[in-house]
Amino acid sequence: MGSLLAMPREWLAGSGEIARFMGIVVRDVWTGRVLGFFGETLRQAGILIIYSTLVIWSLVFITGLGPCGIEASYFNEATGTPAYSGVFAAWCNLREAVPIVWGYMLSAKVGTGIVAELGAMRISDEIDALEVMGINSMTFLCATRLAAAWLVLPFMYIAAVGVGYLASYIAIVHQVGYVSSGGFLLIFWQFQNPTDYLFSVIKGMTMATFIILVGCYYGYNAGGGPVGVGRATAKSMVLNLVLVNLISMMGTQIFWGGNPRAPIGG
Amino acid sequence: MATEERQRSSSDGDRPDEEFLTGVIRDTGVPDAIEFVDVHKSFGKNHVLRGLNMGLPEGKISMIIGPSGTGKSVCIKHIVGLLYPDEGDVIVKGHSIPSLSDGELFKLRRKFGVLFQDGALFGSLSLYDNVAFPLRQHTEKGEDEIAEIVNRRLKEVGLGDANEKMPNELSGGMRKRAGFARALVLDPEILLFDEPDSGLDPVRTALLCELIKEVHAENGGCYVVITHDIMSARRVAEHISVLWKGRIVESGPAQDLFASENPFVRQFLSGESVGPLGME
Repeated sequence: MGSLLAMPREWLAGSGEIARFMGIVVRDVWTGRVLGFFGETLRQAGILIIYSTLVIWSLVFITGLGPCGIEASYFNEATGTPAYSGVFAAWCNLREAVPIVWGYMLSAKVGTGIVAELGAMRISDEIDALEVMGINSMTFLCATRLAAAWLVLPFMYIAAVGVGYLASYIAIVHQVGYVSSGGFLLIFWQFQNPTDYLFSVIKGMTMATFIILVGCYYGYNAGGGPVGVGRATAKSMVLNLVLVNLISMMGTQIFWGGNPRAPIGG
Repeated sequence: MATEERQRSSSDGDRPDEEFLTGVIRDTGVPDAIEFVDVHKSFGKNHVLRGLNMGLPEGKISMIIGPSGTGKSVCIKHIVGLLYPDEGDVIVKGHSIPSLSDGELFKLRRKFGVLFQDGALFGSLSLYDNVAFPLRQHTEKGEDEIAEIVNRRLKEVGLGDANEKMPNELSGGMRKRAGFARALVLDPEILLFDEPDSGLDPVRTALLCELIKEVHAENGGCYVVITHDIMSARRVAEHISVLWKGRIVESGPAQDLFASENPFVRQFLSGESVGPLGME
């Protein structure tokens, strides 16, 4: 019986530890303590922009082109409503595909990068070196990364949605061509509004926040040499993928579950 | 603690090792900058420090020596507050480390310099930026003044021409010297060296030891060197604490320890294979 309970107890203790860690990092950003390292925050923001923007937008473009563009054309054509491809494209991009693809690529590119970098710093005593220099390493390494994410990622996400839209427009109007540009855009814009856009940004930024925090947790607490860092990276990726899907599901349920916000039937 | 010679009492004196773990602490004539008071520390079932009583005197180069896995590096982590004792106290410059708040501890740590085993340089920063890092974080000095200090310290450790190099372009010895330069830039009152000789050839070890002595002669302060290299101890140490199984075998001025009658101390300081210390 004891061994049966050991695993859930361990899992619960681990979850509590992660939650506590995340709470401290969020507090350091929220209270402005992170501003003591504003230069490092800007450096991290620069790293995010330079090394992550293109790869995220590229994946979003492919998704906007395929699942949200070509699928929209053929599905609506099959149901005899090709003029309504814009509905499919608007909902697919804004509500589901862009947030999920955003979460996947952010987990793979940024999340694992943070685990590997902080984990390597941990096993080579660099984090201890920071501490003994009188620098709060959690604020310096984790809070700065979260602050940088909050500074940069909303804009990157908003632009990513635009990239998805552009890809779907290209696929539906120019590649498949069952609907004219004007016809597509009329329906496309009718089936979304600024509130939907805000909900989508909230979804994407919630994912981003958890991805950064999970990366920081596993990297900062890595141990056991290079093998340990590898394990921590894998664990963070698994947890992030689960969280991305959970947040996506809950976001859809909360924002559009009770009211689909569709301009149909008055 | 270092004012009189005393014998540490033990409750488990019937164990065979106990006759060597005398805990004799010889008078140094100066107050201690760092004191361990009956410190116990375990990692899971591994009981590393088992009632450690040790004083490291002010203004001297102290060496903590002992076999591998005996808790030497754990001592350094207790001094800087990276680890806390399960029982007992660690007192640095009159402050009880486990009792300090985070803010007080971070403030106290600015008086420390630490040279980690591999230098612990930040991989994303150049050598120059690594050494300048503590100055930029903790002082209001301008870049010109920082450059003057950094270049002086780098020159002092023989890396005056390498300041634009990245840590992965440096050899092990260079990384240690760079770590030394970084540890020195804030003029610390206490400087800790975690096995500065590990991975270095004998000549570079000797040169690093000379460097430690020179810098100490120039700057003063309490230097604590952790090593199991006896040649380094002979070259540098003014005070030696011999650690074994998480406790002090004997501690005191270097010349007294080299003349010790304790069989364990004699064996360890002469590097002989015959004696109380085996392969186990």
